[in-house]
Amino acid sequence: MQLKLDYAIRETGANLSRNVTITIASVLTVAVSLALVGASLMLGAAVRNATARWQGGIEFVVFLNPDATQQQIDSVGRDLQDSPEVEKTTFVDQKAAYDEFKQLFADSPEMVDAVSPEILPPSYRVVPLNKDLEVVQSLGKQFEGKPGVRDVVFASDTIRAIQDFTGSITKIIIVVAVILLGAALLLVLNTIRMAMFARRREIEVMKLVGATNSFIRGPFVLEGLVQGIVGALVAIGVLWAFKPVFEGWLPKAQDFPLVAGFTVGTGELALIFAGLGVVGCLVGAIGAAIAVTRFLDV
Amino acid sequence: MIKLEHVTKTYKGSVVALSDATVEIAKGEFVFLVGASGSGKSTFIRLLNREESPDGGVIYVAGKDINDLSSWKVPFLRRNIGCVFQDFKLLTTKTVFENVAFALEVIGRPRNVVQTQVPAILELVGLGDKAGNFPNELSGGEQQRVSIARAFVNRPLILLADEPTGNLDPATSVGIMRLLDRINKTGTTVVMCTHDRGIVDTMRRRVIELDRGAIVRDQARGVYE
Repeated sequence: MQLKLDYAIRETGANLSRNVTITIASVLTVAVSLALVGASLMLGAAVRNATARWQGGIEFVVFLNPDATQQQIDSVGRDLQDSPEVEKTTFVDQKAAYDEFKQLFADSPEMVDAVSPEILPPSYRVVPLNKDLEVVQSLGKQFEGKPGVRDVVFASDTIRAIQDFTGSITKIIIVVAVILLGAALLLVLNTIRMAMFARRREIEVMKLVGATNSFIRGPFVLEGLVQGIVGALVAIGVLWAFKPVFEGWLPKAQDFPLVAGFTVGTGELALIFAGLGVVGCLVGAIGAAIAVTRFLDV
Repeated sequence: MIKLEHVTKTYKGSVVALSDATVEIAKGEFVFLVGASGSGKSTFIRLLNREESPDGGVIYVAGKDINDLSSWKVPFLRRNIGCVFQDFKLLTTKTVFENVAFALEVIGRPRNVVQTQVPAILELVGLGDKAGNFPNELSGGEQQRVSIARAFVNRPLILLADEPTGNLDPATSVGIMRLLDRINKTGTTVVMCTHDRGIVDTMRRRVIELDRGAIVRDQARGVYE
């Protein structure tokens, strides 16, 4: 077993260095396509964070005073529920508001430290039946003067525009990335095919003396896997290095009447990177698997 | 050890390589396969190794129907069969030692087995002092000895040789035949295709003659024709 692992690693190394240029080509293609996927996922996450309050068709939010009485809260809630123009309403109490705040400002602990649940306003998030700007405006205005209500905030056109724009941009990027991933897969496949061609004499002898298929295939599959993983690591490195630049391009919190700026949380980033790693492995492994099953008949 | 029953093999179109061949070869036998080029000798050998499958008939090797073998078991069949070819099939980037060791390494033999078996077999084929040489530094006869060492290092039950002396001069061929004879004396069944009349006539072993895929002669202690 020891010998087998030694052997597989040695052979893989030899294969990779034999075709340096084409190996680099496939690694870079994997990297570029995964970087694109990662960038669009990061953009999506940033927009989602910035507009967290405005998802699921929520058009306006009724903020209550932090010291509003339970009676006042209930009365506003009843009015909202009874209104025929309201489709759905969700109550966010102070604790939930604090949790959301913590999540949005996960990257700036000093902000979180400066805030406690008691000073955050509870709120109702409202999904109206009719999304027309004027209808929504007049519906929201009805609640502005009510006791206990501090403010009514509307989803601005800007927010809708941002959401739509990033939605379609993300789709385009994903399509391009998928095409590139396909190209990367074919490149991996071809690299391995060339490696097999270079070693056809060894392979012939191995078959002759009774080496198992998995033993013969092992180094080639490993080679594909290494290309996929290295490609993914390059993509992750690039995205990590460019994250500050990337966030600099996006508007800051103070530029918009939003709760948070366009930032990507560490947790989200870890998830995106893990996903890229998995996709990289898959591209390498599938490319290699196709190569060995198609061109290494035993 | 080897049994063919009504074996037929036809290549693409109508090239008949073997037709209704029935023959049995016992353990420890030494058999010459003779016949003109294209008479089916190589196909006979390739069928035993399952590099080819027959269109009809049954082939038994060591008591097993090898066409019944699932493809993942084929390597284990081949571990019992050593193969020697006219063109040696040595790896030019590896030394003599490495060429022979390769055959053990790729079937997962532990390092200590490799370290003891390879020098022993090189000694047996008379190349003890050439272990560090590369194949292109050796004569044809020496290269064939390396290839025999590689085929035999795993102590197979059967040794298949496809014109092993085809590229060698008569004197060198005699040396190779002595080696194969020695291997046969250890109990290994040897099947050898050949065009070498001199060798067949001197050794006087069982001769099976093929003509256009059919077995036309099967003679104990036979001659070339």
